[in-house]
Amino acid sequence: MMNRGGITETLAPPGTNSLEDRHVVDARHGQPSSYSTSTAGSEASSWTPQSVNNSFTGNGYSASSTYGYEQQTQPPRRDDMNGATEASSLSLGSTSVPQDYNGYMTYQNPTNSYGYGTTGYTGYYSGYQQQTNPSYSQPAGAYQSTSSPYQPVSSFQNTGSYPVPPSYSNSYYGPGDYQTAGTYPNSNYSTQTTWNDGNYANYSTYQYSNYPSTSSAYGSGNSAAASVQYQPQFKQWTDYHAPSEVSCAPGMENLSVASSSNPACPTPGVPNGTQASNSQPPPTAVPSWRPEPGLSGLPSQQPSVVAGTGHDNYWKQHAAPGFQNQNSAAGQSAFYQPMESKNAYGSYMDEQRSTSDQGSNLQYPVVHQAPQIHQAPQQISPALDPRRGSRVQIQTNPRIVSNLALGLTKTDKAGSGTTAVAKPAYIGVSLPKPSDKAMSDDVSDPALKHATFPKSLRGYVERALARCKDEAQITTSQEVLKELITSATADGTLYTQDWDAKPLFPLPDMDGLSNTLPTPPPLPTFRRSPGRRTKSRWEPLPEEKSINKMPPLMTEPVKYGGYMNDRNRKPYVGNSESKDGLNTKKFLAVEQKTASFQKPFKRQRLSDSLTTADNGDASSDSDKESSLTAFYSGAIGFSNTPEERKKRESRSKRFEKAHGNRVEINHFKPKSAVSANLYARRATAIVLSKTFEESGSKAVEDIDWDALTVRGTCQEIEKRYLRLTSAPDPATVRPEEVLEKALTMVQNSQKNYLYKCDQLKSIRQDLTVQRIRNKLTVKVYETHARLALEVGDLPEYNQCQSQLKTLYAEGIEGCHMEFSAYNLLCVILHSNNYRDLLSSMSRLSNDAKNDKAVKHALAVRRAVTTGNYVMFFGLYRTAPNLNSCLMDLFVDKMRYKAVNCMCRSYRPTVPVSYVAKVLGFAYASSVNGGSEEKDSVGLEECVDWLKAHGACLVADNNGEMQLDTKASSSSLYIPEPGGAVAHGDTSLAVNDFLTRASS
Amino acid sequence: MAAYLSMGEAHRRITDYLARFSDAVASQDVASLKPLLSLSSASPSLVSLADALNLLQDSNRLIKQSDRYSQFAEILAPLFRCLQNYRLHNLVDAYPAYEKAANAFIQEFRNWDSAWALEALYVIAYEIRVLAERADRELSANGKMPEKLKAAGSFLMKVFGVLAGKGPKRVGALYVTCQLFKVYFKLGTVHLCRSVIRSIETARIFDFEEFPQRDKVTYMYYTGRLEVYNENFTAADQKLSYALAHCNPHSEANIRMILKYLIPVKLSIGILPKDWLLERYNLVEYRNIVQALKRGDLRLLRSALEQHEDRFLRSGVYLVLEKLELQVYQRLLKKIYIIQKQKEPTKAHQMKLEVIIKALKWLEIDMDLDEVECIVAILIHKNLMKGYFAHKSKVVVLSKQDPFPKLTGKPVNA
Repeated sequence: MMNRGGITETLAPPGTNSLEDRHVVDARHGQPSSYSTSTAGSEASSWTPQSVNNSFTGNGYSASSTYGYEQQTQPPRRDDMNGATEASSLSLGSTSVPQDYNGYMTYQNPTNSYGYGTTGYTGYYSGYQQQTNPSYSQPAGAYQSTSSPYQPVSSFQNTGSYPVPPSYSNSYYGPGDYQTAGTYPNSNYSTQTTWNDGNYANYSTYQYSNYPSTSSAYGSGNSAAASVQYQPQFKQWTDYHAPSEVSCAPGMENLSVASSSNPACPTPGVPNGTQASNSQPPPTAVPSWRPEPGLSGLPSQQPSVVAGTGHDNYWKQHAAPGFQNQNSAAGQSAFYQPMESKNAYGSYMDEQRSTSDQGSNLQYPVVHQAPQIHQAPQQISPALDPRRGSRVQIQTNPRIVSNLALGLTKTDKAGSGTTAVAKPAYIGVSLPKPSDKAMSDDVSDPALKHATFPKSLRGYVERALARCKDEAQITTSQEVLKELITSATADGTLYTQDWDAKPLFPLPDMDGLSNTLPTPPPLPTFRRSPGRRTKSRWEPLPEEKSINKMPPLMTEPVKYGGYMNDRNRKPYVGNSESKDGLNTKKFLAVEQKTASFQKPFKRQRLSDSLTTADNGDASSDSDKESSLTAFYSGAIGFSNTPEERKKRESRSKRFEKAHGNRVEINHFKPKSAVSANLYARRATAIVLSKTFEESGSKAVEDIDWDALTVRGTCQEIEKRYLRLTSAPDPATVRPEEVLEKALTMVQNSQKNYLYKCDQLKSIRQDLTVQRIRNKLTVKVYETHARLALEVGDLPEYNQCQSQLKTLYAEGIEGCHMEFSAYNLLCVILHSNNYRDLLSSMSRLSNDAKNDKAVKHALAVRRAVTTGNYVMFFGLYRTAPNLNSCLMDLFVDKMRYKAVNCMCRSYRPTVPVSYVAKVLGFAYASSVNGGSEEKDSVGLEECVDWLKAHGACLVADNNGEMQLDTKASSSSLYIPEPGGAVAHGDTSLAVNDFLTRASS
Repeated sequence: MAAYLSMGEAHRRITDYLARFSDAVASQDVASLKPLLSLSSASPSLVSLADALNLLQDSNRLIKQSDRYSQFAEILAPLFRCLQNYRLHNLVDAYPAYEKAANAFIQEFRNWDSAWALEALYVIAYEIRVLAERADRELSANGKMPEKLKAAGSFLMKVFGVLAGKGPKRVGALYVTCQLFKVYFKLGTVHLCRSVIRSIETARIFDFEEFPQRDKVTYMYYTGRLEVYNENFTAADQKLSYALAHCNPHSEANIRMILKYLIPVKLSIGILPKDWLLERYNLVEYRNIVQALKRGDLRLLRSALEQHEDRFLRSGVYLVLEKLELQVYQRLLKKIYIIQKQKEPTKAHQMKLEVIIKALKWLEIDMDLDEVECIVAILIHKNLMKGYFAHKSKVVVLSKQDPFPKLTGKPVNA
């Protein structure tokens, strides 16, 4: 312990710096993310947000005060909670989730629960304990966990596998942070701990259950978790990701999305367990906070906070076990998971997915906040430290406050801040509401989900929810609605039913709900996931892809946390200050965070959830998506340039305008909502197809893809090629007229092949995504094929050729003959396969055989098979189109054979000039009637070539070079190809290719 | 026609078939088992059975009513389904049913120690191939992907696995191999033959000569064809000659098929067929080619190739025949040489390029000096002509001893 403390201290100074750095990073991430969501998948959009962040960060630090607040408010609850929580925590192995808990405990323990205490922590701990007397025992546990996390931090740093280890450690575990904490009033920590207690009490069972699952996932499959995070960042991962999702689908549905998603994770079993636990607990948990809107807000917030701490703990724990390489990623993922799990129980068991997502988010943010708080003091003002001791925390951690404030604003608007807080996560998930709704729920839920359902259904849901008087009713109503919609999707009436005319279901009474609801919801989700998986496997998963797109390069999990905070701050900043309800603020912040966190989950789920017909799921997915996008954009941390920021700002403004009708939400959710809408559009198709499948009435083949085909709107003529990793965005796809212009542009361009190839590939891509198959398509492919032939880019040529083959087969006009000649030449020259040649020859039509180009190709074939080199080079001279380009590839072989033949049959010598003429070295002379200069050039070339192949050259009496055939016949050899490449394809050697292309 | 088929009659026919099947298996009487499986024979009993099955839809009940039949339910139930579909000319549905029945039959066959049912297995292997081919025809007529023959190929591979081991059943392996060859050649997936060939030719336990004659002939025919593809003329000649020698002299169609490949192979190693052979087996498309070789008439060769190009391309001998061109050149030069020898014996071994060009012109083939020089060089290079070419004087100097060596069974040097 002591050692650790020492370590932390030493590390501290760097930590502070790193913290600052991190903030910056975070800011980028956070803001971009929100924007990006709005942009709906276009990467560019994702980047924008950064500008806002900075300002926000500054504001945001005040949030720490919220913690203090919570403490105060919560105490009563804690007591209540504590009773329960304590029992659970103490028992560890007690009824609800003993096993899980134990596992959890073990994690913590290894790290030494009290070890930290000795350093800065102990102080915290003690202080904390005092404050929260009742919950004490549990808090201790919490602490332990926290302590453990810290250790991991150090380990993390060591590993440093991820790109920004320093920032990471600092932000979350940074020794500096801790130290500050130590000096720190403890209040933060204590509050957190207390919260933890409270949380435990409330959720004890749930959390634990969740935790175990997550922890297990971590231990086993941290890597998997890591993968999740990475995926967003790296496009490459997307593919990887998708498969993983499929496999883990069941898990995904449950809380531990991340774990499930990861292929490596053993989780499947685990998730199930978690689900079960969730489903059971919900009844109890839900009532506790839902019913009391005002109060509930506080509790909920607290839990979130607690959860955050808990998450930290978990995180740390997880991290500690260490996945050194993947640490950061794993850590983050771990966070997510825990969060989700908590959420799940916190939220409604029914909607496992949605709840889980939200819940996770909530918790998550909390965690982040905590670190921030600590940091804030350090970074901002050492002077503030004294204050910390007191509850002045707010001052010390202005940033945090700001974050919280954001949340508060929301809640306040909603009516009771607390309720609002609670609602967003839950409601949003469960109900597919119209985005326009003023409901607080909507905030959390992105419009995406809604978009996937018919308007009438949305109206129905709205009506159903509108009559709810309290949260409990809303939740129950949501559940009922969810079931309704599920069943409707299942029997295919979702889109056919007249929702407008359908009578509302009777409002369920609370008691009945708690009893009835818990179990059913989980089951449906479960069952579906597997089915979806299979489908999703080969179906296009645009959503996922789009998500993937967003995250370009950055892979810092660490940043994530920071980013989240920043992000929260920005949107909230303005609002937060105004509101007093710190608790609510916190909560909101949490929510936001959760949302952002959800994204990663989303992806995993996306495939599953989307497929599922459940409204709730869908909605949650959309939320996730938006958050994900935000996350990604943030993660990308792309450009921090002022211009970028400006752009982002303007974009964000646009979004806000668009969603002006949303009152509360606008402030912080607008971006995500917008993005959600965008996504929704694209996602709709997929969802549709999936729902179709679900209903079992239609096979994928029966889906009307025409209706889903993208129609481009982009007017840019020039466009770089970028391999699609998601569903195409119409805004970046050029319609046919523009493509035509683009083609002419390329054809007239003076630039090198690389540029043209890039442009043509992007044209081809746009054609493909719009499913345009006509003369233009043929023209594009032909143009590209010719260009590729000219520079000898055979792989590209082959792609075009195979496309052209099918295009011609469809009866689209083009230069069919020209290309069948090329094809023939390819077969002759590149495959030594007798049968291929025969079959391609027998396929030629009579028309083709009379075509000049094809005739030429056939003649070349003859020359090659009979070894008639004179004929070959004669044909080379007269090759139509680009036939000579393909013949080029055979020239050397032919020459070698010819010289071999000459050496055998000529005696005593052959003049080199003749060899040069016959073997095409000096063909220019014969064409032009023989200019001396060219002749000599050809001669020299021939001499060089002959020498390189081991021929014996002698000069005769007239000084003319002669090939000594007898001497040469035994000395000829094929030199090692100079440009040989290990993989055998010279055209793949970049340098060589570049030089050739630019020439 | 089922109109006047009473239910009782239908019932009787089905139970009759069941009884015959189980009796044949019980007594290991392959002769009576074979017709029960031979779908394509369209025997009256099978046709009437199919009618009965279509009338009486619950034949499965009849199968299950007795232990005697129900032990073969795995075979019989799909077989009945196949018969029904076959009768209704629904081959696409008949095929999978037959394959299922066949699969069940192999299971049984595996359990029988002796190879008594080998003949029945032959029937199945044959039927499944023919049925698949017909089903594919039906599929492609409906614009769908023909895939049944491929499936039949993998099924036959399974059968081959059952037979290829040690023991008395190995005798049947070659029959299945031949069916596989037919499938693969039809599908154009000839490369798949290699594994089967390897397992046949490397097995020491079983002498190739112990296989049934007809299978050996078929096998040699197909492997000979493969050698033609590979331009391995010596091996092709050997295999096809074996097939020809052992082929039943009365099955003229088979002999013709063998000759269709054997003649080009023989031509390419310098052995010309008699004209009556071409007449007898209706292989007149080779007649002009043989003539061209005899006369050194390049023009005739080219026109013959052009005339039958499609046919030669389809059978895969086009490229073989095209390569005969060098032999035609050789013959032409030899003729010139003979004439020169008659005129001026002392200078006969010096052949001027102009003379060759003149000869070609006479054949209405226009070639310039370089091209002819190249041809001569190639002829010398390929050892179709002994001597050398003097570039300066444009003269071919021929060896005084055997300037135009005969191939006599050896292929032209590559």
